[in-house]
Amino acid sequence: MSENYTIPIGPLHPALHEPITLKLEVSGEEIVGVDIFCSQVHRGIEWIGMNRNNAIQSIYLAERVCGICNISHPFCMVDAVEKVTNIEVPERAQYIRTIIAELERIHSHLLWAGVAAHEIGFDTVFHYTWALRESVMDLVEYLTGNRVTKAIFMIGGVRRDISEEGAKKIKEGMRFYLENFHKIEEIYLHDPTIRMRTRDVGILTKKDALKLCAVGPVARASGVPKDVRQDYPYAAYADYGLKAITPDMYNGEVHGDVFDRIIVRLLEVKQSVDIINWALDNMPSGSILAEKNLVKLKIMLKKAEGEGVGRVEAPRGEDIHYVRLKAGEEPFLSWKIRAPTYNNVLPWIPMLLGGQIADVPIVAASTDPCMSCLNRVTVVDTNKKKEFEITKEYMHEQSIKKTRRLMRNGQ
Amino acid sequence: MMMHEVWKLLFKKPFTNKFPAKYAPKNVHSYLRRVKSGKVKLVPPIPPPPNFRGKIQYDIDSCVGCGLCAQVCPSKAIEIVRDKKWIIMHCKEGATLAAPLKIKIYVSRCVFCAQCVDVCPRKCLHMSDEFLLANEDKLSRDLIIPGP
Amino acid sequence: MASDVLTLVNIVVGTFLVTLFGITFGLLTKGVDRKLAAHMQWRIGPPVIQPFRDVFKLLCKESIVPRNAVSWLYNMAPIVCLASTVTILLYIPFGSIAPILGHYGDVILILYLLTIPSLAMVTGGFASGSPFATVGAQREMVLMMSYEFPLATTVIALGWKISTLNPSMPVFSLETFAQYPVWNIMGPLGIVGAAILLLIMMLVTTGEITKVPFDIAEAETEIAEGLFVEYSGRNLALFYLADAVKTVVMASLIVAIFFPYNLSPLLKDYLTLPSFGCYTMDFLFYLLKLEIVIFFAMTFIRVSVARFKVDQVVKMYWGYLTLAAIIALVLIGLDIYIGGV
Repeated sequence: MSENYTIPIGPLHPALHEPITLKLEVSGEEIVGVDIFCSQVHRGIEWIGMNRNNAIQSIYLAERVCGICNISHPFCMVDAVEKVTNIEVPERAQYIRTIIAELERIHSHLLWAGVAAHEIGFDTVFHYTWALRESVMDLVEYLTGNRVTKAIFMIGGVRRDISEEGAKKIKEGMRFYLENFHKIEEIYLHDPTIRMRTRDVGILTKKDALKLCAVGPVARASGVPKDVRQDYPYAAYADYGLKAITPDMYNGEVHGDVFDRIIVRLLEVKQSVDIINWALDNMPSGSILAEKNLVKLKIMLKKAEGEGVGRVEAPRGEDIHYVRLKAGEEPFLSWKIRAPTYNNVLPWIPMLLGGQIADVPIVAASTDPCMSCLNRVTVVDTNKKKEFEITKEYMHEQSIKKTRRLMRNGQ
Repeated sequence: MMMHEVWKLLFKKPFTNKFPAKYAPKNVHSYLRRVKSGKVKLVPPIPPPPNFRGKIQYDIDSCVGCGLCAQVCPSKAIEIVRDKKWIIMHCKEGATLAAPLKIKIYVSRCVFCAQCVDVCPRKCLHMSDEFLLANEDKLSRDLIIPGP
Repeated sequence: MASDVLTLVNIVVGTFLVTLFGITFGLLTKGVDRKLAAHMQWRIGPPVIQPFRDVFKLLCKESIVPRNAVSWLYNMAPIVCLASTVTILLYIPFGSIAPILGHYGDVILILYLLTIPSLAMVTGGFASGSPFATVGAQREMVLMMSYEFPLATTVIALGWKISTLNPSMPVFSLETFAQYPVWNIMGPLGIVGAAILLLIMMLVTTGEITKVPFDIAEAETEIAEGLFVEYSGRNLALFYLADAVKTVVMASLIVAIFFPYNLSPLLKDYLTLPSFGCYTMDFLFYLLKLEIVIFFAMTFIRVSVARFKVDQVVKMYWGYLTLAAIIALVLIGLDIYIGGV
C-alpha cells in the first residue's frame, strides 16, 4: 500500500497513560511523519501557587504535580525557597531527603519497567515487577505515613525522622532488592523476546540527545553522562560522589535504543540501593528542621524577597523549579516548573521516524513520559518545518472569539 | 527466559491481598450489610503502619479557634465556624455571651498531609488509622468533622 | 426418502447441539485460561465463569455503528465469523463421537474453512472505517498468509505417511487419522518429525486464535484492539464467541490429528460399560485433552513471551516454522523410505 495515511495516537489511547496527541503519518507499517500536540492537561498549578496558596501550602501542591515523582517536585520547590530565604537545612535532614528521593527512584524505575513490559504485551513481567515494587512502597508508607503522597518535605528540613527501627527496616528492604535484583536483570536483560522488541528500536543518537536537550535516563542511555546529582550535587550526594550511569558501564557499548534505557534504569535501581545503604550508615545526628515553629517560618517567608532555582534529578531527569518571592506577599510572585518530560517529548520525533507503529508504545514509554507535568503549549509542525508557541495574547484572543461565538449561538 | 519463572509462579500462592473478598461482590452495600450481620467474613486489609495518615480526628473541647490550621491547609478543607454552644466570654467590655470559634473539616477535600496536625498549638488534631472513607456523597455525615 | 429426512433432522439437531457445546465449552475454556494465566502472573484473576458474564453484558448493550462505516458489511462480519467457525466444528470428531458432517469433508476443507473467520474479521475491520481497524485488518491478513504454509505442510506430511500404509483410504479424512494414530505408525525418525509438526501446530494455533505473541491484529497497547476498535455490544459479543469457538476448533484439530486416542478401548478389558458410558467417558477424556492442548498452545505461551512485531511474526512463520516444517517433512519422507525398504 503506497498511499500514506494518518493515525492519531491519543489524546486518549491505551498506550499513553496520560493525554498527549501524536499524529503519525504512516506508510503501511512504517512511520514517515510525526506530529506532537502537547498540553491536553493544563491544570493551572502554577497559577494556584501564585495566587491562592502560601509557600507552605504550595509544598503539597508541588507534590501533586506528578503522582510518581512526588518527592522530586516538592524537593525542588523547597530547595528554591530555601535559596531565597537563606535557610540552612540541617545535615540529618539532607540525608533523610536523599534516602527518600532514592526510595522514590527505585519505585519509579520499577514502575516504569512494568509499564514498559505491558507496552510490548508482556503482562506477566508487568505484574511480576509490580509485585516486587510493593516492598519499596511499604517502606515508603512506613517512613512517611502514606504510600503515594509522602508529605515529608518542609521548608528547612523534613517532617519525619528515621528511627533506629526504621533504619533497620530500610536495610532489610534494600537487602530484599539486592537479592532479587538478579531476577529482574534476568527477565529484562536476558529475555529474548524483550530484547527482540527493544534492541535497535527508538534510537536517539548522542548528537540528537544533546541537540534536543534530552535529560535523565534518556540522555544517559544515549551516552551523555548527564546527572544533576553528579554535576550539581545537592542534599547528601556531594558526600557520596555519584557517577552518572551510561549503558557502556554494563556491556561496553552505547546504542541509544530502548534496550539501553532499560539497562540504565535497572543499573540506577542498584545504584539507589547502594546510596541508601551508604546514607543510612553515615547519617549524622541532629535536628531535622531548621525552624520548628511553623508560625515563625510563615512570617519569615512573608518577609523574604528574591529568587531561587531548585534543581533535582527526578527519576525521569532534571527537574527545575524557579521561585520568586516578594516581601509582604504570601503567594509566590512567580513560580515556574520545568518537568523533565518537557525535554523528553521532542526526542520522540527522531526516535519514531522510520520505526513501525508497533514501536510507538514502547518508544513513548521509554522516556517515561508524565504528561500532566508538562504544560507549555508548543506546536511543532514537522511537515512544514515550522515551530510556534501559543502565547498568552493568542490564547486570550482565541478565548474572546470563542466567548463571542458562544454568546451569538446562545441568543 | 520467563517460562521457568512462570511455571514456578503457577504453583505459588497469588501475591494479591484478597481484600475485601476474593472476588468483587456483586453489590458492595449488601455485602457490607452481610458482613455487619456476621454472615460473611471480611478478608482484612493489610494493617496500616504506625504514624499512618488516615482520617483526621478533632478534639473540639481543647480547640481555641486560632485558625492556624485553616491557614496552612493546602486544600482549604478547614472552615472556621462558630460553635453551637454559647459560653460566657470575658473581654475588655466585661462578660458577654458568645459562641467561640471552632473549625469544621470537610474530609472529602482533605489531602491527608497532616500539616494542620503539625501547626496546631493545642494538639487537638491528630490522624487516625481509618482509611476506608469512600462515599457517594461528598457531604455525608461521616465526612464532616465534627459530626452534627 | 425417510432415511434422507432422518439424516437431515440428525444434522439439524446435531448442529444445534454442537453449536451449544462449542460456545459453552469455548467460554469455559476462556475462563480457565484466564484463571491459569492469572495464577502464572502471580495474581488471582477473574472467576471461571467470567466470560459468560462478559458475553451476557455485551449482549445487553447497544451496538453502535460508526458514521463512516459500511453498515451492512460491518454488521454482517461478526455473524459470518461466528457461523463459519461453528461450521468447522461440524467436521471434527469429539472423542469417539463421529463428526456430523464427517463424510462431506476432510482436513483440507477445514484448512480452507479456517480462513473464513479471519476474512470476516478483516472485512469487518475495513468496513468500520477507522485507521486503527485498517491497520489491524492489514496485520490480520499478513498473519493469515503467514501461518497458512506451515499449517498445510503439517497436514500434508502426516497424510503422506498414512497414504503409504493404506493407499485405498481417504487420506485426509480425520477418521483415517483416528484409525492410524500418528505416533503408532511412525518410525523413530518419523516420531521426531511428528513432534516438530506438533510444535508447529501449537504455534500456529496461537496465531490462529490471535493471542500474544501473535496478537498483532488486535494489539491492545499499539492499535487499541485494532480490528475490533469500533465494535461494541452484540457485534463484539459475536466476535468474542467466535474467538471462543475458534479456540475449541484449533485445539480439537490438534487432538484429532495428533492424539486421537480414546479411553474406552483401553479399559474394555477391565470394566464393562454400556455404549452410552463409553461415549461419555471418551467425551470427558477428549475435553481433558483439549484443556491440556489449550494450556500449552495458548495460556502458557501467552504469559511467557512479549508481543512480536509484524515483521518478526512473518519471519517467525515464514522463516523458522516453515524451515522446521520442511525438516519435519524430510524426516517423515526418510521414515517412509526406510519403512518402504
